[in-house]
Amino acid sequence: MLIKIQIIVGVLSIVLLLITFELIRKKRLREEYAILWLFTGGVVLVFSLWPEYLLSQFFVRITGIFYLSAVVLIAFFFLLLIVFHFSVVISKLTSQNKELAQQYALLALELNELKKNGFPPAQASSINV
Amino acid sequence: MEFMKKILVIIPAYNEEGSVGKVAEEVYTHLSQAEVLVVNDGSTDLTSEIAKSKGAIVLDLPFNLGIGGAMQAGYQYAKEKGYDIAIQVDADGQHDPKEIGKLLKALEEKKIDMAIGSRFIGDSEYKSSIMRRIGIAIFSGVISMIVRQKITDPTSGFRASNRKAIQLFASDYPQDYPEPEVVILLHQCHLKMGEVPVGMSERYSGESSITKIKSIYYMIKVLLAIFVDCFKKPPLLEQER
Repeated sequence: MLIKIQIIVGVLSIVLLLITFELIRKKRLREEYAILWLFTGGVVLVFSLWPEYLLSQFFVRITGIFYLSAVVLIAFFFLLLIVFHFSVVISKLTSQNKELAQQYALLALELNELKKNGFPPAQASSINV
Repeated sequence: MEFMKKILVIIPAYNEEGSVGKVAEEVYTHLSQAEVLVVNDGSTDLTSEIAKSKGAIVLDLPFNLGIGGAMQAGYQYAKEKGYDIAIQVDADGQHDPKEIGKLLKALEEKKIDMAIGSRFIGDSEYKSSIMRRIGIAIFSGVISMIVRQKITDPTSGFRASNRKAIQLFASDYPQDYPEPEVVILLHQCHLKMGEVPVGMSERYSGESSITKIKSIYYMIKVLLAIFVDCFKKPPLLEQER
């Protein structure tokens, strides 16, 4: 029974790792985000290879939960980290997006006023050169 | 006229074609020395065109940023163009441009950095629902306690700010519920504020966007935002000159 679970978890983590590598190679996933995914895949893979030893055994002993539950719990923990990381990134992007929109609007207004009033001579000549 | 202060009236507008023109016109009649900047927050109607036709400067945001982002863009314009005083007036017509003089006077005489037009000081005849009154009373109590100064109308968007406050707002302006949050921000930055009694009329168009059940939800969200604000690191004021 345990060996079946081991194989399933192992294959899943290898697929996850392969997809992550492939996306990095194609530059469709930035390394910044990839690191957490690689780490998640790596940890789950280690757990599937040595269920009786190492971390998993330690984890099973201190928490008293079964092997599969432990793997799921750990995977869930990493997913939480990833989602949290995304919230931080989205907040940053939202604020940068807002600043871009404001600067764009201010520049557009400035440009329209320049067009209406004609460019100042000094600037106009420098453009011609 | 060296001593004349440069005044900018900022009107944030999102789909307010029905009232923005009238508000801009009234500002020009009551405050001829001021410039009017309408910040068009990604409107899909004729807000921008109507404002332009009334002679206002129009700052067209490429998409809707919400009131916080729009107001901040207005303050950025005021900072860049060297205005001494910026006044914010709602586009829906509930603020009477005739009352701007009172805000300017308070800014000058009380030596404060921001003057807030309050509906609830003095002989107020402002009518509103009980729910709304209770909500505002709670806000007022909480905010007054935090800033250790009586603020009767923290949700009022009828305000005048001096150069110091303009510079602060250009770089840091709360995005979610800017009116009450700005009061906290000013307190954290040790800028002074004061209230002035003003009359406000009912909106020209439409109901208040806040209905009964939503108002409780709104209150909780604002109180939460205020609570979080208290733990934020206050921004550093940049020095000019």
